[in-house]
Amino acid sequence: MLEFKNLSKTYDDGTQALKDVSFSVEPGEFLVVIGLSGSGKSTLLRCTNRLIEPTSGSITWDGTDITNADSPTLRTIRRRIGMIFQHFNLVKRLSVMNNVLSGRLGYLDTWKSLLYRFEKTDRENAMRALQRVGLTEQAYKRASELSGGQQQRVGIARALMQEPQIILADEPVASLDPVLAHTILGYLERLNKEDGITVICSLHYLDLVQRYATKVIGLRDGRVVYRGTGEDIRRMTDAEFKEIYGEDAERVGAGPAAAATAPAVNTPEEAE
Amino acid sequence: MAKTPQEREQLRQARVTARTAAQTPLVGPAGAAVASIILPGLGQILSRQTQRGVLILSAMATSVGIFAWRIAELGRRVDGFGATILRALERRPGFVALVAVVLALVWLVAAWDAYRCSRDRRRPTTGIFALVLAGFFVLGWQIAEIDVVKLVREAPEALPPLSRVMWPWAAAVEYEEQAVTAGADVLAGEGPAPERAPQVEGEPYLLVEPNVGQMTTQDEDFRPVPGTRITLTGTGFTPNTETEIWWEDPVGNEFRPREDGEYLIVTTDEQGSFQLEMTMPYRLTPPSAEGPFIHRVEARQISTVGPPRPSEALRLTISRMIETIFMGMMATFFGIIFSIPVSFLAARNIMSGSRITMAIYFLTRTILNIIRSIEPLIWALIAVVWVGLGPFAGIVALTLHSIAALGKLYSEAIEGIDAGPIEAIQATGANRLQTIMFGVIPQMISPFISFSIYRWDINVRMSTVIGLVGGGGIGFLLVQYIRLLDYRSAGIAVWFIAITVATLDYVSAEIRNRLM
Repeated sequence: MLEFKNLSKTYDDGTQALKDVSFSVEPGEFLVVIGLSGSGKSTLLRCTNRLIEPTSGSITWDGTDITNADSPTLRTIRRRIGMIFQHFNLVKRLSVMNNVLSGRLGYLDTWKSLLYRFEKTDRENAMRALQRVGLTEQAYKRASELSGGQQQRVGIARALMQEPQIILADEPVASLDPVLAHTILGYLERLNKEDGITVICSLHYLDLVQRYATKVIGLRDGRVVYRGTGEDIRRMTDAEFKEIYGEDAERVGAGPAAAATAPAVNTPEEAE
Repeated sequence: MAKTPQEREQLRQARVTARTAAQTPLVGPAGAAVASIILPGLGQILSRQTQRGVLILSAMATSVGIFAWRIAELGRRVDGFGATILRALERRPGFVALVAVVLALVWLVAAWDAYRCSRDRRRPTTGIFALVLAGFFVLGWQIAEIDVVKLVREAPEALPPLSRVMWPWAAAVEYEEQAVTAGADVLAGEGPAPERAPQVEGEPYLLVEPNVGQMTTQDEDFRPVPGTRITLTGTGFTPNTETEIWWEDPVGNEFRPREDGEYLIVTTDEQGSFQLEMTMPYRLTPPSAEGPFIHRVEARQISTVGPPRPSEALRLTISRMIETIFMGMMATFFGIIFSIPVSFLAARNIMSGSRITMAIYFLTRTILNIIRSIEPLIWALIAVVWVGLGPFAGIVALTLHSIAALGKLYSEAIEGIDAGPIEAIQATGANRLQTIMFGVIPQMISPFISFSIYRWDINVRMSTVIGLVGGGGIGFLLVQYIRLLDYRSAGIAVWFIAITVATLDYVSAEIRNRLM
């Protein structure tokens, strides 16, 4: 169980990205964080594996205090938390294979890895991970040669190499077109259901949230303004909706029978 | 579409009312024009077009000042204001008149411009500045001593050296020379004929008939008195080869006698024989040296034998060219080594941590900019004083410049790094070294290689000229040949520079294209 307690983050320029955020995630859950751009979703996810240092509060995972872990402990924590990103964050000049193998870095001897010498089993596992996301044929291409959807699948394969118990997904489909969104989230759902990996994912589209989430957290200006299950969000009222997305937001066909690809909210930041 | 005056006036009024009150001119159109007649630009300033006014005023002041300086230069050594102007006008009437007309025009247009500024309350066209530019162009033409007529007239002068530089290959090869010589004694004056040398089979032999005679002299009226005609018969020489006739007097002076003003040259026939007639040359011995003297006449052949071989110029050029390429390479090598650490200090994203690192960043950037703004040629001058003449001085100069240039390029490559992949690698639990190896280096490797090859290209190109100031390499040789007026050898050097630079240019562009 992953527990967030009174988590706050204030950046050097004074921006308060997170204010007193508390919630917990049960193993095997598909938690979706919703909220406008700038509401603190990315900060929250990055605090989880301490890519960003929280200012105060704590995160504990099965009794281990992540927030106060020293550097070696943090590395062992990080290697069990996979992460995928909005802009995929692949090393574009490396091959797909090397990108996937870089997921093993946390487990490897430093000197061997510096020379790009990976274990045979790692290479086999990497091939298997690529097989799982349907990219075996692209294994030795440069990452930059792949399309956006393919790059995100490489990102998932890289996360898989970590043998993670948690996957953090920071707007994994925001840079992709809506049809691909279901493919990517479908992979995450399968990892969640088949491998029992906990998924914490930030999303923009309400219909995607309704389709995939088992639990939902709504953030607004760094505060938790909504908690509910996937079921709850399917019955969300306009008042709750405006609580998350602000007064200007409008629902666009987000009822239970909403079209699969319709964006849920009319906000200018959406395309970001 | 034609507009009536009324319509035009209406349009103008509409524009004027569209302006804000803040732009209300301080004087009327006529006042502005008069002000600009008194002082160009003043009218514009009073019409609230301060920038325009100041610009016109300073342009006018500058051109009048420069014009006055040129007139003073042209009319120097003449006293008095009027006299100076007259003298200048006399020497360069076109220039003085043209500039005076343009300045007067600018003056008048400035007044008209001020009038319109005040009336329309907005900036008129930029025509006045085009006129100012024309004035500067005429001034510049005279100051830079541009002389198109000379350029065309003197072109034939440049052709012979230029053609040698363009096609220097005659100097690129040389042959082994072989001299074939035979001589015979001739007695000048009265006395017994000198003994003839015996003829040896297979050796060249020269027979002079007669071998006693008188040299050419002058009588009391300094009129030439021709000497005895003698016949030279040569046998056993190299066939079909030019043969020079030489004369050696008793004191050992050697010279080539002339017949009708031309040097005596004869070409041997197929058997290697020749026959020619000549007058015994003018006597060089002093008149006091009376009596008979034995002179010697010689037939000399210089012929080339064997295959052509590279000339000294070609060999030197090649060795210096290799030296040059290696100079460029070593300078690039040292430049890369030193600029890598420097580039990290000059990268904003790495140094933005604290005030101290930012101070180091600014300091590094400033030093790099200063070093870079001084040409390698100047650095070479300093380096020559430092380590003496030769390629090492060139390497020092190029290295300094390379560090500055590469440091800047590399630091920009570092600044351009995408933080995303680094974040992703960190998130896998990688340590710092692993993050650098997987997240940073793959992103930098291609700009690093590309910039380094580009720099090598530049350094080789620069090292061809760095020799001009004593920095070693082919430039040193080139400037030597030019000073010796040996245009053919210089041409060989120029050709090699051109070929090397073009090749390198192509190769480095190819490599960079493949990397990108």
